Amino acid sequence: MKTAISITDLNYSYPDGTKALDNVNIEVEQGEKIVIMGPNGAGKTTLFLHLNGVIRAEQDNVKIFGNNIGSMKTEDRIREVGVVFAEPDDQLFMSTVYDDIAFGPLNMGLSEEEVDRRVKKALATVGLEGFEDKVPHHMSFGQKKKAALAAVLSMEPRVLVLDEPTANLDPKSRADLIRVINDLNKNHGITTVIAMHDINALSELADRVYVLNRSIVAEGPTRDIFSDHVLVKENNLDAPDIFKFFKIMKCFGGDCDQTPMSIDESVKELTQAIEALEGKMSLHIHESTHEMVNDVISSYRH
Amino acid sequence: MKYPEIDKYAELDSLIHRFDPRAKIITFTLLIFSFVFIEDIRIAFVSLLFSSFILLVSRIPFGFIFNRMKPGLIFVMPFLIVMPFALDGNVLYSYNGISISYDGLYYGSLVVIRAATSIMLTLIMLGTTKMDTTMKSLHSLKVPSPFVQTLMFSYRYIFVFIDEFLSMWTSMKAKGFKVKANKHSLSIIGNLVGMILVRSYERAERVYHSMASKGYTGESRTIVKFKMQTADYGLAAILIGTVLIFIIYGMSLS
Repeated sequence: MKTAISITDLNYSYPDGTKALDNVNIEVEQGEKIVIMGPNGAGKTTLFLHLNGVIRAEQDNVKIFGNNIGSMKTEDRIREVGVVFAEPDDQLFMSTVYDDIAFGPLNMGLSEEEVDRRVKKALATVGLEGFEDKVPHHMSFGQKKKAALAAVLSMEPRVLVLDEPTANLDPKSRADLIRVINDLNKNHGITTVIAMHDINALSELADRVYVLNRSIVAEGPTRDIFSDHVLVKENNLDAPDIFKFFKIMKCFGGDCDQTPMSIDESVKELTQAIEALEGKMSLHIHESTHEMVNDVISSYRH
Repeated sequence: MKYPEIDKYAELDSLIHRFDPRAKIITFTLLIFSFVFIEDIRIAFVSLLFSSFILLVSRIPFGFIFNRMKPGLIFVMPFLIVMPFALDGNVLYSYNGISISYDGLYYGSLVVIRAATSIMLTLIMLGTTKMDTTMKSLHSLKVPSPFVQTLMFSYRYIFVFIDEFLSMWTSMKAKGFKVKANKHSLSIIGNLVGMILVRSYERAERVYHSMASKGYTGESRTIVKFKMQTADYGLAAILIGTVLIFIIYGMSLS
């Protein structure tokens, strides 16, 4: 498997001298789903701007598929990494949705027919067929989010970077967007790197998690990261509700092999656990149950 | 939210709507320039009637155009009020040393009629074409790219600023703020305007990042699919002919 993203010892300071990134090291394989978590102001957006070469690293320490992104030609670097920022109004800067989605491909120097094909394909992927002539101020926030994603998908990047893709979305739009991102990852082999605080969407969008707080504080599978409640608390994070619920259930004697991270996982884990107990799981309260429950709750409480 | 959209009626179907947008920009600009230099008030009045006829053909509601003409007319109205008193010439009426001159009234009216005609034509030109098509037409007419891009982004972000302003205004009202004619109100409104400026600066930076992420290097690239038809040539010829008639007739009078 190829290495899609390789960042070694990346440092960055803002013009006023404040350190934004401190010795950041990240390695992502092709086709992986990575989530970057961290408190507000942890440097996620700055890191993303390095990933597509808008901010050029001083040394050759940001490599995409082995090539230094900073020294690539504009057309090549936008073909490799597409970044979808958090605020859709910042990304839909043209007068119509069509022009916004065609913006990247036109800058790649593609023919008008190819641009047209890509615009239609990107709109179909995000489920916005027929929105070509719409103006952004007539669209809902959810539709604007999808259009902003389509405007990046039209460049057909190999790595897709998304900043807070599910923030401020209604549950239906949120579910739609998660489905689209997963489809791109599973069926089109696109490597996805996502920054988000939506912990309940984590298990669907992450194979691995990086915790960024100016430097990489921790890295590993989702379950390992959230099992470390000190790490979670220190970095202003929280564990998914279902994860905490099963931790509490364990105090009552309802133990599963692995603490589930999502509803789907909980069904699987519970079924396995109950089957192993010959169809019956009994929960009970003993002397130290309440103490253990309080410990679990307080370990994740901010 | 009601946005001040200039192209609200751009989806209607009329001779003016169907007119090739590039030809429309050129012919309407010629019409406007020839009308603002008219010296004779009678010809100026005919030009106003002619513009109203174009408005009728375009099927855009008169009220919509008139509402948008108002700010411009309010701006030129002082000419009509001040010039009759300020300009020397044949006295129409005099009272206690204050006289109204015929020449002042003539030129004041001329300025207002010229302004009304040109504003009306500009609004018809912009109102019968979708804004993005107007921008693309300017681009294909080789209008300098920085100018077209500035226009395009201004038009795009006016609506975002209106939303931002209104949400801040609602939040201020929710905290009990009432506009009063005092220093406190003024300073609060000053703060609000300052805040919008800061926010626009920050937004501009984020928009630039997003554009750079899509390969923007300062050049505007867009797909333009316009094709002049026989009807477009015909209408352009009629309008340019009208311009010539006005110019020649005006010259014959002077």
